[in-house]
Amino acid sequence: MPKLIKLTGDPSGKDFGAEWAEDGFVHVGDDDALPEGDVILSLARFQAEGEILLSNSRRVGVRVEPDQEVEALAYDLPRLSVVALAFPKYRDGRAYTSARLLRERLGFTGQVRAVGDVLQEQAGFMVRCGFDAFEPADGATPEAWTKAAHRFRHVYQRAADHRRVAFEERAV
Amino acid sequence: MYLYDAIDREFLTDRSNEFRHQVARRLAGELTEDQFKPLRLMNGLYLQLHAYMLRIAIPYGSLNSRQVRRLAWIGRTYDKGYGHFTTRQNLQFHWIKLKDVPDILDAMAEVDLHAIQTSGNCIRNVTADPYAGATAEEIDDPRVWSEVLRQWSTLHPEFSFLPRKFKIAVTGALTDRAAVKTHDIGLFLRKGRDGAIGFEVVAGGGQGRTPYIAQTVRSYLPAEHLLSYVEAILRVYNRHGRRDNIYKARIKILVAALGIEEFTRQVEEEWGKINAERADLPAAELDRIRAAFAQPRFETLPDVSDAFEAARAASPALQRFVRNNVKPHKVPGYAIVEVSLKAIGQTPGDATADQLDVVADLGERYSLDDIRVTHAQNLVLPHVKLDDLPAVHAALEAAGLATANIDLASDIIACPGLDYCALANARAIPIAQDIARKFADPDRAEKVGELKIKISGCINACGHHHVAHIGILGVDKKGEEFYQLSLGGSGAEDASIGKILGPGLSADKVAPAIDALVEAYLHIRTGEERFLDTYRRVGLEPFKEAVYAQAD
Amino acid sequence: MKAITANRLIDGEVVFWKGGAWVDGFGDAQLFDEGQDAEVETAVATGKAQPTVVIDVYSIDLTPSDGRWAPVSYRERIRALGPTNEPTHGKQAVGGEVVEALRHADGAARSTGRVDLIRRK
Repeated sequence: MPKLIKLTGDPSGKDFGAEWAEDGFVHVGDDDALPEGDVILSLARFQAEGEILLSNSRRVGVRVEPDQEVEALAYDLPRLSVVALAFPKYRDGRAYTSARLLRERLGFTGQVRAVGDVLQEQAGFMVRCGFDAFEPADGATPEAWTKAAHRFRHVYQRAADHRRVAFEERAV
Repeated sequence: MYLYDAIDREFLTDRSNEFRHQVARRLAGELTEDQFKPLRLMNGLYLQLHAYMLRIAIPYGSLNSRQVRRLAWIGRTYDKGYGHFTTRQNLQFHWIKLKDVPDILDAMAEVDLHAIQTSGNCIRNVTADPYAGATAEEIDDPRVWSEVLRQWSTLHPEFSFLPRKFKIAVTGALTDRAAVKTHDIGLFLRKGRDGAIGFEVVAGGGQGRTPYIAQTVRSYLPAEHLLSYVEAILRVYNRHGRRDNIYKARIKILVAALGIEEFTRQVEEEWGKINAERADLPAAELDRIRAAFAQPRFETLPDVSDAFEAARAASPALQRFVRNNVKPHKVPGYAIVEVSLKAIGQTPGDATADQLDVVADLGERYSLDDIRVTHAQNLVLPHVKLDDLPAVHAALEAAGLATANIDLASDIIACPGLDYCALANARAIPIAQDIARKFADPDRAEKVGELKIKISGCINACGHHHVAHIGILGVDKKGEEFYQLSLGGSGAEDASIGKILGPGLSADKVAPAIDALVEAYLHIRTGEERFLDTYRRVGLEPFKEAVYAQAD
Repeated sequence: MKAITANRLIDGEVVFWKGGAWVDGFGDAQLFDEGQDAEVETAVATGKAQPTVVIDVYSIDLTPSDGRWAPVSYRERIRALGPTNEPTHGKQAVGGEVVEALRHADGAARSTGRVDLIRRK
């Protein structure tokens, strides 16, 4: 099965970690035949065929490219298992915004997965923005991922992880 | 100034450890250069022509003596005994080795200095009026808000991979000493109708290939909503800024493409969706930060210092220094002292380690341990007693730091240019030195008066040539260094973009051309007109004639 | 005529290819004449395959000057010598014939005359 790293525990606390997970989902291209089981579709294909698949009681995920607005999924989110946000190049930071919007504005509680050029050096940012699953492109292990995500004992701004911010720590 | 506590210090330690780890991975081949480059850039580390360059953050241009001494020490220990101050109030070291950087960051962290986000496609050093807290014409202290933004923007998880760099500047005074309108976001402190503090928010300024003056997005934003509003702007930019072409990726391009009305509409719409209570800073934290900038214990002094007046009467050099480099302070008996890093024939903006130590001593002894950097690559001692001015002047003079030329023709802004920078097309430093020598006679320089000459060695415009009274852009024309002059730019509150004067000049013709422009100005000016004023009155033609007739 | 240059990863120093190694002095650089394009390519490829040793590997064009060779590009002369505003900094500080020759190579002074047409790198 493809290698997926999943967060364990609560990212707002200090104890969260990461582990290998079986990825039950298959990425399906726009022109591919649909396999059995759980699938991740492009936004366009989901908008065309998603309804049918969901009513077949499959688990469905949607892949959103950086130039696509994640708000387009607003009404479907309660029924989606996964939103995969793409990093065509790790430098393309639009998925960080998409992840935060999914979590903080659209209230998505399913899996937010980072796909594409996903590197452990950005683990910390991804976790803070609400990603909880990762398809690493750099051979990272869950241990490396956990370490990278725990590099900073303090953070200065609020984000999707609801981690306590520096000034909240001081207030105690 | 803002004093780091345990939390801030642990943050710097963690950052330094992170970079040490990243360097190790890079050296071991676990990271490619492509993967490593943004990581080192976000710690201010560039690969330049001769070595690495490390750009150290000087938040809103503010330093204490301990920090300045440590910078001197770093310059001696890891570099060639000097540093270079930049147009964003930062300090650069030009001869750094990658393997030393983790140790350098550790040494900096000991005095609460860092190089976080001084490069990279993220929010950069927030710059501010260097006279903050000392000038009488201040609605509120811009350092408070700069520090708020600095913390909020530090390792912001959503905004660390923007389409391009992002620069914010803040001023609390009507006189703009921070080139605010050339920034991606500019913040002007304003008083609301109810007497509350707020901001005029401008956006879309920038220089480089396509210069723009920032436009007003919101004429009044209550100050407590600064972070949520800036978040809205950043989010619109992160989502919609272009990523297909690095020359079209700044927010100024987005603002120009959408038009200010549509841009504003998008920002306001996004802002409306942000949970301000969560996004904005709680009042208690704002108070804590504000308290860090509380007015220091000034002495109660008379307006006039007899000792100073006597010394001044006896010294034409001191008179000249005061005329040009000393500015009024909000507290009677005090003054703001500019320290020129533009000695004739020296590299503009450079200070030796010894000079830094002198500035540290003076800052500690005579300026309430407060030292500032201006975007014109000079330093400031913001709180000097008039009584102490003669001693300060003497010490500066002994260290080669008393050139009485602030805002005069020899107070030139120049980027490092092709002598150092991998991006440059032409050299800037020798041109600056040539021009400065033309105005070495201080009487001539004073006769000419305020004349802001700014030189960039390439279109990236780090020398701010677009907003110069006389701007000079170095270009590579078939392998030769040529220089394009422009007139009438201003980075102050009367911001404007300069107009190109004519065809580029070869290097040896630039200083004579400046001479010709100045002579033309002296000939045409009326009353108290500065060069900029005369140009604005008479236009390009008389100046064009002066230069191109001369060049033949 | 060409040479190959790069920056050393560990300290950013400008270096030149010489028979599979990287040397600090332009005067020691291996020269490749017109017929040796394949060798140039191979050497550049080798350099690019050493990402923990050097970065930014590329070939530079040289022009004859007073019995020696000098980079055509002014930028490359500055890389080979050091900054022009500080003669005691950079490689030029060692002085000597090679440095002097580079300094005074045709077109090396402040540009007042024509230089052969070049690409920057």
